[in-house]
Amino acid sequence: MLKKIKIAALMSSALFLATAAHAGETTSEWLLSFERMKGVKPVTDKKYAKECGECHFAYQPGLLPAKSWDKLLNAQALKNHFGDNAEMDAATLEAVHDYAVNNAAETSWYKRARKIAVSTASGPAPLRITETRYIARVHEDIPAKMIKGNKDVKSLSMCNACHTQAAKGVFDSDTVNIPNYPDWD
Amino acid sequence: MKPKSSIKLKRALAGLCVLAASGMAHAQDAALDLSMPTESKASHSFILAANDAPANLPASVTSSSPKAEFEPSFFTADNLHQYMGFATLALVAGAALSAPGEGCEGAACATAPKQPRQTNGTHAQLAKAAAAMAAFTVTDGLLTYWKDFHMEDGFSDPDNLHVMLGTVGAAMMMYAVNKSANSKTPVSHAGIAELGGVAMAVAVKLTW
Repeated sequence: MLKKIKIAALMSSALFLATAAHAGETTSEWLLSFERMKGVKPVTDKKYAKECGECHFAYQPGLLPAKSWDKLLNAQALKNHFGDNAEMDAATLEAVHDYAVNNAAETSWYKRARKIAVSTASGPAPLRITETRYIARVHEDIPAKMIKGNKDVKSLSMCNACHTQAAKGVFDSDTVNIPNYPDWD
Repeated sequence: MKPKSSIKLKRALAGLCVLAASGMAHAQDAALDLSMPTESKASHSFILAANDAPANLPASVTSSSPKAEFEPSFFTADNLHQYMGFATLALVAGAALSAPGEGCEGAACATAPKQPRQTNGTHAQLAKAAAAMAAFTVTDGLLTYWKDFHMEDGFSDPDNLHVMLGTVGAAMMMYAVNKSANSKTPVSHAGIAELGGVAMAVAVKLTW
């Protein structure tokens, strides 16, 4: 009996130590981490958050593969960024590009980032998050009236209109609140 | 009687399962506030009216209170599956810890009096409960999350791996319980049960 109590005490200690470990992105860090990594890694870079967030929701880099960020975040492409001029100075652009590429879907252990990486591994680089097979698939059952026809959403690209914890990188269905459709599911 | 290495393996497995279950501790990265600045006509109206005189604004402007914060429900289909998974791991850990045979090492085993076989003791009850809970969890997961399972994404997709490991783990646990329950003499079933528990724990970790 005493042995079992000792084992239980040891395991409790290990549990506390393990939960204190900060989640990393290497395999071993991921394996030993108990941090929730079900969504995508939240944006932690202030420059990236500021530059992108000035005009739209600062999409987490884990929502696209590196090949997509490469195509989106260059001086030429930003002259016409989905219809707008989003040019920035060279140093800022480099910082924003590097942050996005270094934290792209395929570099992440976060579950939804991994799913996006798997679904975009082959084929051309998607330029829109909504074009990725995984994102398109999980939204395909939602009626158009709740998105395009919804004056408070308008587009699937407005992640944070419905995903109430999008800024934290959490996209679980039980955190979804579609404006004007409280009983959407 | 069980050899010393088996006991150590069992303790390690129990530790692994409890550690996996400890993922209940929710820790998010410190996220920046990415919300867009919100400025409504109403807020401008209040700024203009912010003087000593009482604001004489129409009700349509003054009553524009912010929308209530959305609070995710504590009990949803999503977290029901999660709670069932944790319950399975906890039962597996309990079954592993309560397994008989501790204390018999080396030569002592030869002289130790043989204990009558317990088929309805704590270990057996916990093992049966773990196998049953594993089966319920897998069934619930298949029913609730069937749309997340896509073979076109291959074996590296975390949800696909989760489904396969969870199902295999539950099957191994049920096999181990069945093997022991249907035998009149003690049979080795710990290895397969432990492997099942590990498969379940890895399945949880993959989608945690």
